[in-house]
Amino acid sequence: MNYSLIWSQVTPHIPYLLGGAALTLQLAVISFLAGWAIGLVNASVLHFGPRPARLAVQGYVTFFINTPLLVQIFFIFFVLPDAGILLSPYAAVAIGMSLNAGAYLTEIQRAGFQSLRREEIDAATAMGFSVPQMVWYVILPHIAKALYPPLSNQFIIQVMTTSIAAIFAVEELTGRAYNVNSLTFRSLEVFSITAVIYVVLTLACSMALALLGRWLFRVKARIL
Amino acid sequence: MSYGGKADVLRGVSLDVERGEVIGLIGPSGSGKSTILRTLVGLLKPKAGQVTVDGAPVDYASRSSLRTARDRFAIVFQQYNLFQNMTALRNVAIAPTLVKKRDRGQVEAEARALLARVGLAEKVNAYPDELSGGQQQRVAIARALALKPDILLLDEVTAALDPELVGEVLDTIRALQRDGMTMLIVSHEMGFIREVASRVAFLDQGSVVEVGPPADVFDRPTSPRLRDFTSRILRH
Repeated sequence: MNYSLIWSQVTPHIPYLLGGAALTLQLAVISFLAGWAIGLVNASVLHFGPRPARLAVQGYVTFFINTPLLVQIFFIFFVLPDAGILLSPYAAVAIGMSLNAGAYLTEIQRAGFQSLRREEIDAATAMGFSVPQMVWYVILPHIAKALYPPLSNQFIIQVMTTSIAAIFAVEELTGRAYNVNSLTFRSLEVFSITAVIYVVLTLACSMALALLGRWLFRVKARIL
Repeated sequence: MSYGGKADVLRGVSLDVERGEVIGLIGPSGSGKSTILRTLVGLLKPKAGQVTVDGAPVDYASRSSLRTARDRFAIVFQQYNLFQNMTALRNVAIAPTLVKKRDRGQVEAEARALLARVGLAEKVNAYPDELSGGQQQRVAIARALALKPDILLLDEVTAALDPELVGEVLDTIRALQRDGMTMLIVSHEMGFIREVASRVAFLDQGSVVEVGPPADVFDRPTSPRLRDFTSRILRH
């Protein structure tokens, strides 16, 4: 391969790429938090809810785990307008990723409900906690602690998955990298820099999550 | 009061308790001692029978009506059952603030006083995994007292403790007895039951077989099953 690196053609675009990284992070955080909330409600329903509600949740999880995310977003973006629901590309991607993550986070948190300490539930019940109070004050902290590794893993996956937004012309990091590549044709430089930004971003996220875990839940997670 | 599915776990349990009395519940395992306590606090749903406190019936029919049961009874479990993610103070204060909607500042002041009463004034900010079993169980007792129950239910509260930690928990219960707390105590600490209980009820196969002052029950058992039971425990 005879290729001479010319970084100077790409370096002026780094701030533009970093702006895309900010959008990447935003999408990941939004879809992860929404997915977590969906998963928590679903897992509560699977644990405490009546049978029809449990079946509905199982249907949702089965559907979203067994179809590609891209197809799900295509569906939201191209089919929903027929029903009068017109969404921006960003909103379509955010909703698709949230629903998709919700299915995985239901499964992860269902396992957390199964590992609950029966004693704490008994104590909360005997003291008159309602189910939402029990979920919020007793079960959620337990899940966050017991499931810390798979949950933070899921967050990192969300960061990677945001690159799918490039297909819908959402200018997150991958989308902007594609733009810079079209402008400069310095592919090796552009995508090397992009890769480095992704690595730095995810490592920073992992560290932040580990610190958050230590602070919130006294999880003895490794920082790096 | 009865409880059970195909085979009734409790049947024909009838017991009158005076205010300030301490009742010891003894009997072989599987006799229904813990089931009585768990039913009283609303963890198990009774099939038949009634519970009356101060002349007012306690309604176990639905989840919302259980509120009255929880105003009357508070339970301390064998495994302490503390919330692992909360400090001792929060463990004690959470139910009064959350369930009874009381003012948090006032509840926390009371919780500190209760923790001091069980000898844990220095441990208010400790998490359960930083406390010994005996300390955890004393937090659990403070947590039950914070609910201001009419009757305190103690379910084998020393059974999970290392022998050297049993004494501190028993001392706490003795102090409660002196303060006039009405208690139902399920325990295998027969010496302790004999000391603190005003009356002892012997259960076997879901029924109260014999009730009376400790001296009568332990030293002059009338029923053959109780005689058999006491002779077996006294041998150890």
